[in-house]
Amino acid sequence: MTIFTCSSDFESMMTCIYDAWDSHLGYRNVRLMTEPVGNYELFCDYRHVDLDAAKAERVIHSIRRKISPSAYQLVYYCAMSHQEDRLDIIYRFLLYGFSYGAKAMDMLQEPAVMAAFELSRRVSREAHAFIEFVRFANVRDEFLVSHIEPKSNVLTLIAPHFSDRLPSENWMIIDDKRNLAVVHPADAEYYLTPLTKEELLKVRQSEQEPDPFVDLWIGFFHAIAIDARKNPRCQRTLLPLWYRKNMTEYTQK
Amino acid sequence: MEIISKTLSLQEKLNILADAAKYDVACTSSGVDRKGKKGSLGNSCAAGICHSFAADGRCISLLKILLSNDCVYDCKYCVNRAGNDRVRATFTPEEICQLTVELYRRNYIEGLFLSSGVYKSPNITMEMICRTIELLRTRYHFNGYIHIKAIPGASPELIEKAGYLADRMSVNLELPTKEGLSALAPHKTQRSILRPMRQIQNGISEYRLTQGKEALMERSTGNRYLKDTIFDTRQKPVLSGTDASLLLSSESADSAAAPLSTGKAALSGQPPAPEPTVPSARQAPSKERQKPFVPAGQSTQMIIGATGETDFQLLSTSQYLYQQYDLKRVFYSAYVPLNEDPALPDPSTAPPLLREHRLYQADWLLRYYGFHVQDLLDEQHPSFNTLLDPKCDWALRHLELFPVEINSAEYADLLKVPGIGTKSAMRIVNSRRSSRLSFEHLKRMGVVLKRAKYFITCGGKMMYSMKIEENFITRQLTGENSASNWEIDHPQTYRQLSLFDDFHFDRQPDTSDVVMTATGQL
Repeated sequence: MTIFTCSSDFESMMTCIYDAWDSHLGYRNVRLMTEPVGNYELFCDYRHVDLDAAKAERVIHSIRRKISPSAYQLVYYCAMSHQEDRLDIIYRFLLYGFSYGAKAMDMLQEPAVMAAFELSRRVSREAHAFIEFVRFANVRDEFLVSHIEPKSNVLTLIAPHFSDRLPSENWMIIDDKRNLAVVHPADAEYYLTPLTKEELLKVRQSEQEPDPFVDLWIGFFHAIAIDARKNPRCQRTLLPLWYRKNMTEYTQK
Repeated sequence: MEIISKTLSLQEKLNILADAAKYDVACTSSGVDRKGKKGSLGNSCAAGICHSFAADGRCISLLKILLSNDCVYDCKYCVNRAGNDRVRATFTPEEICQLTVELYRRNYIEGLFLSSGVYKSPNITMEMICRTIELLRTRYHFNGYIHIKAIPGASPELIEKAGYLADRMSVNLELPTKEGLSALAPHKTQRSILRPMRQIQNGISEYRLTQGKEALMERSTGNRYLKDTIFDTRQKPVLSGTDASLLLSSESADSAAAPLSTGKAALSGQPPAPEPTVPSARQAPSKERQKPFVPAGQSTQMIIGATGETDFQLLSTSQYLYQQYDLKRVFYSAYVPLNEDPALPDPSTAPPLLREHRLYQADWLLRYYGFHVQDLLDEQHPSFNTLLDPKCDWALRHLELFPVEINSAEYADLLKVPGIGTKSAMRIVNSRRSSRLSFEHLKRMGVVLKRAKYFITCGGKMMYSMKIEENFITRQLTGENSASNWEIDHPQTYRQLSLFDDFHFDRQPDTSDVVMTATGQL
């Protein structure tokens, strides 16, 4: 068994797929993983793959052209997952994709296609949940800051929505788990950037000022519930507790 | 009252007017896709976005508030009725705009849902609503979702003006029969409710025609694979006023389709109240007319359980409204007792949540599954089965149509199977082109086999060897559903038993305990 490993950014993953394909070892004899590799297995040959933008570009191009643009979207969503075997799931899906073309997207009977479909569905649900549950803090009326701790790497999936919604505002969404941030200056394009500890601390400090609209919102949130229909179980199903970590109405009293 | 309302803070006003608005159920932000614009705030997403969930499990999508709870009407069921002794408050337009924009920027809400008690008169109230949303759209450059209530009795010009500014408008029907309405809402008449509804419908279709679209609203895309849905028999709206009245009088011959009059009259085929004549829908200058008119469609709401209507009457009314008024949604609101009145149910009545749930289930069957009211209920069976959902109930009465073969049945037939929804039916149809499907595949595609297994075959075989026999399947299905049904009706009584915290552990010691301890009894 040969195991191809690469770092966990999207382009490295695509390069890894290129090299695994190019090795001609046969799909039964290879596995793909993202680093860090936790447990090394016996009788396996580990090969590290470095990012190569040209190879990644060729893989992306082939997915879009030989399978379909929606297959590329599926692959991208899968790649943003936090699941350890995501790269292998993508690879197994692409095996079907490249031999059956656009039809492969509908072949849910195949375990490999179903696995990719389920993974991308999980990620897109989480991304949608964060579109709903992101809470911005208004800092000195100058910019809006939000902190999230998603399981999947949803920043690039939710940024287009907010850039369309708040085009003339300065805002940033920070992924506290990965120390990544999407920054959007007013009337300009957004960009993805890593944050250092000091920068994070600085942002955190600026958020301490009281905001009258937070109290108004919390008051509204409690006033709008009908006591005779109280149903915490239903509420928990629709808005699981782990999402509430950074939501104004649940964290502040 | 005036003195109090002047000293209320914004926070107090918001709490009062949100509290007063919460019994309105419609809080959807769906129906319209609109891109953001530089310099403006907001966009809109056709699927709708919820932003939070309140303690009752209902979604919070829009800032749902009343403009004023200072109402001159005295509707018996309403918390804001004139006869109630409550603190009255009224927002200024600026306050509403500021709240909407600031909460929207922080991603707390998806837009504004503005309703109001009738402040002084319908026209004055509607005028204030119009002024508010005009300010919000022009001065505050708000491009998000706005849903407003059309106040029954307001002048057509004001309703038209509001239609160009809002995304969705709604007029609450409240009670489906005339008797119910005159008993509980003496100031409202069916005429005053249906008139703005027809006007909005005409405005929408006129705008759609100028845009080169069909006059009638789009429905779920899956519906084009179905034959004979309720939407196929929709009446094309007629644009001039006199035709509109003719339209309704011709319909009245069809007794089943006209439950809006009294229940008895509908059954005996008497004509319902004549349709009020509506002036031509839109009179604005042609430049104004290019603007979208209520692009997300209109909706309405009915109260469940305050008066004696049957489920059949309620659902027939919904179907009638979908067909004749091209409504986008009808909402059902379980009656929560707020006032004491001889005409109302006892104040200790629990809200009929399971009944409301069944009505929503049936409403979906009408809009997405190609069912008609007449398939689900009739005069002999006017109420839904409390133990089974409407589709299971229907399937059990039509066992001759089952089992359905998954690998060959049409999309429309798959949809009729309990446990298969629109998404899983589409997945089945798309995936079986490449190879046969088995029960294991169905499970992972999202089919609820717990219900579906009695009604389907895969490759000619059922999942287990079972008889397709009504009593057996009913017993199986009701056994599995009883626990969840009970929970819908009793959301608060459910409590997990635990070894460690007993029910009485949180009781504080009172004076008698202190005395008993002091005297050595404890």
